[in-house]
Amino acid sequence: MKTYKQLLVVGVVLFGLLSFTLPSESTTYKCMIQMTNYTGESAYVVVSLINPKGDYEETLSVQGDDDEWYHDISEWWKFYGKKRGNIDAITGATIAGGARNISIIAIDDSKIDAGYSIRFETAVEDQEYYTKDVAFPLTSETVKSKQEGTGFIRYVRIMPN
Amino acid sequence: MTISIWRYSHLALAVSSFVFIFLASVTGIVLAFQPISEQIQPYKSDGFDTVSLAETLSVFNKAYPEVTTLEIDTNDFVSASVISENDKNLNGYFNPITAEFLGKKIESSKVFQFATTLHRSLFLKGVGRFFMGLCSFLLFLIAVSGAVLILKRQRSIKKFFAKIVNDNFAQYWHVVLGRLSLIPIIIITVTGVYLSLLKFNLLPESNMSQSINYEAITERPKQDIAAFAVFKNIKLTDVKSVEFPFSSDVADFYTIYLKDKKIVVNQFTGEVLSEINYPLVTLLSTLSLNLHTGKGSIIWSLVLAFASINILFFIYSGFAMTLKRQKAKLRNKLKKHKCEYIVLVGSENGSTIPFANAFYKQLLKAGKTAYITELNKYQTFKKAKHIIVFTATYGEGEPPTNANTFLQQLKNTEQLQPLSFSVVGFGSYAYPDFCQFALDVDRGFTAQHAHQFLPPFKINDRSLEAFNQWVSSFNTASGLALHIPQKKLVAPPKRTKALQVVRKTEVKTNPDNTFIVTLKPAKNLRFNSGDLLAVYPENDYRERLYSIGKVAGNIQLSVKHYANGFGSNYLNSLQQNTVFKARVINNAAFHFPEKATRVLLIANGTGIAPFVGMLHENTSKIDTHLYYGLREQESLIVYKYDLDVVLKNKQLHQIHLAFSRVGNTKYVQNLLQNDAVFVAETLQNNGVIMLCGSLAMQKGVLETLNAICETQNQKPLRYYQEKKQLKMDCY
Repeated sequence: MKTYKQLLVVGVVLFGLLSFTLPSESTTYKCMIQMTNYTGESAYVVVSLINPKGDYEETLSVQGDDDEWYHDISEWWKFYGKKRGNIDAITGATIAGGARNISIIAIDDSKIDAGYSIRFETAVEDQEYYTKDVAFPLTSETVKSKQEGTGFIRYVRIMPN
Repeated sequence: MTISIWRYSHLALAVSSFVFIFLASVTGIVLAFQPISEQIQPYKSDGFDTVSLAETLSVFNKAYPEVTTLEIDTNDFVSASVISENDKNLNGYFNPITAEFLGKKIESSKVFQFATTLHRSLFLKGVGRFFMGLCSFLLFLIAVSGAVLILKRQRSIKKFFAKIVNDNFAQYWHVVLGRLSLIPIIIITVTGVYLSLLKFNLLPESNMSQSINYEAITERPKQDIAAFAVFKNIKLTDVKSVEFPFSSDVADFYTIYLKDKKIVVNQFTGEVLSEINYPLVTLLSTLSLNLHTGKGSIIWSLVLAFASINILFFIYSGFAMTLKRQKAKLRNKLKKHKCEYIVLVGSENGSTIPFANAFYKQLLKAGKTAYITELNKYQTFKKAKHIIVFTATYGEGEPPTNANTFLQQLKNTEQLQPLSFSVVGFGSYAYPDFCQFALDVDRGFTAQHAHQFLPPFKINDRSLEAFNQWVSSFNTASGLALHIPQKKLVAPPKRTKALQVVRKTEVKTNPDNTFIVTLKPAKNLRFNSGDLLAVYPENDYRERLYSIGKVAGNIQLSVKHYANGFGSNYLNSLQQNTVFKARVINNAAFHFPEKATRVLLIANGTGIAPFVGMLHENTSKIDTHLYYGLREQESLIVYKYDLDVVLKNKQLHQIHLAFSRVGNTKYVQNLLQNDAVFVAETLQNNGVIMLCGSLAMQKGVLETLNAICETQNQKPLRYYQEKKQLKMDCY
């Protein structure tokens, strides 16, 4: 009886370890978003992984935790709004003008140097919505770089953690 | 005129914005509890007030592989964003001394989120924000115009918080609460407007760019963060937030946001690279936000909630007053140039108008041609023969708003026929200039050589009895038989309380037909000697007032029995232990002074009742003398026991008696005249004189007192009355 139990425990642990380690050939990156000194409400910022065809592949990070306003980030909403996966773990607060935010994002190693790119969308209540505030191809060079923004973002810095 | 402009603006502003203000207040009350609900969370750590920035940063850097930001909110909770061993973001509250994770950030509940959005933008985003900002500004103007109205009413800034008389629930509390919440409301509205301006970028932009010479930054000499002099000198309580360096590159640094400035510090050497003071706009924004939301202070949040509740009450009471004024508007059936009788009304808040209207209607009913209008609309009335004026007095002997140009117009207007006039003044003994304006109107007509049909008549506290008395003398003089229906003039009994008869003395045994009835309130009831008890013998609109003496927690009334007395028969018929309902009317103008160098109590007959109570309450043994007029020695028997007690306890110093039916007829005023020097000295030294009894006695006593004041002190009695050294309650 006792041995059965032990076996069961070992089995579960093994299964857990395998299932979590197998697809985890990903690297975490530290990503800093520095905003411009704009005035107004804090900005919603969505970071997404874009596949070589130019479509959304995965949501990497969402700054802005009030889902009432998500539909204002319309391009991304077309992708996310259909399925509404669980993004609690990668969601943070909106970022105010002049402020910076640092978050950890995880990207599959297979996506580097494979035609994928990363996109930062920003939207502020009653102001503009930038679909490509910052966007750049994912290469082993760009994952440790600083990229200038074109909208509410002044620049983004990213580096492997 | 000036008052009406302010009042008109006050009303117009309120009418135009009350829907928004109502929404803002209701949501404001809810939101006031958000900072309170946050403050009571257990995230404030012991030792927070003394720890330095160097200690906290050092312990965080040791505890976590990486820290990105640290924030201290208005509740003194320390929150941070760190990256833990397994590369996960960890956000929440931390202990600033041990760097221990305490819990997730407080999520504001759905109720607060809903209320916040409604409060600032009505769910209409920019448009809504604009409207709420505008309504905040309008509320500011309402508060300012309200303050001006109070100033006008009180006549000077010094008297801004002086007592006002409670003669109408809505009006009294509108003014009292208005004064109390004026400053919080002004703060709420000014900060509200400021926050709106901020949202719409209407404030001067701040330039906070820092100039750092990146070439000159060096890694040497390297120091441990715990040893950074700059961090050691900063207390954590002065910090708003800290941004940690993004990487170990020397061009990445610590940015510390303090309460008044921002500093940038080299992450290796602890050298200060840049220091910028916040511009005024930023400081004011923080201040406005904290004041408007109550963040960080439970007490201020409660003040904000109180002010918001008051705003709701102001909306209600303001409209209640307006409706009452509208109701009291004057309407005519006949053209003014066809009427013989002209009824003129002077009223500040409309309470005199029902009397004038009732009289006007009875004139019409009696088949007379009558026209009713405001005093300010005085002009040539082609057929006028009789003018009847009903007027209140405003503030300190001033005319009410709708009568303020009357005296001037009176001088400049010619009437075609000889006029007779009668003036009725409405007012309250609580004010020193009782019915002063009515007397001025009377004098004005006399100066125009009009015929005084009836002498000026003063009515205290809208007394129906007094009004009927005047109507009957008008009937006698004019040969008319006007009868005023009373129901419209007096409200049925309200707010009555149950009282039980404890004991009652026999009328038969008393030479003056006077009896004393002692009543015990069934429930806790607050009252003082000098307050009035309104009794309703038939449980209808007719009330009778009696002065209360508070003895051993009971209400003690002294009543003279008349064979046909409406009130006295009723009270005399009450058996012991009977429970009946009556209403206590607060009469703060006739309470025993809490402090005085000396008090003289002057009474005749049953007027002694409140004084018996006051003497029992004179526990601080103020030097008190009683001047009491009565018929004969036996009249005193009913009061003897009570007076002996207070004399023995030194709560009463001396009694002076005047007997009107024994030997040489003597009245209280004769006693006062004998003690003229003593009386004058009492007033001179800020003593207080209190008067209770019949109107005849009041007249005699006031004349004597005035003569004493003028001969001894070279000042009119009025001077002391204004200083509230003379208190009266006569009937």
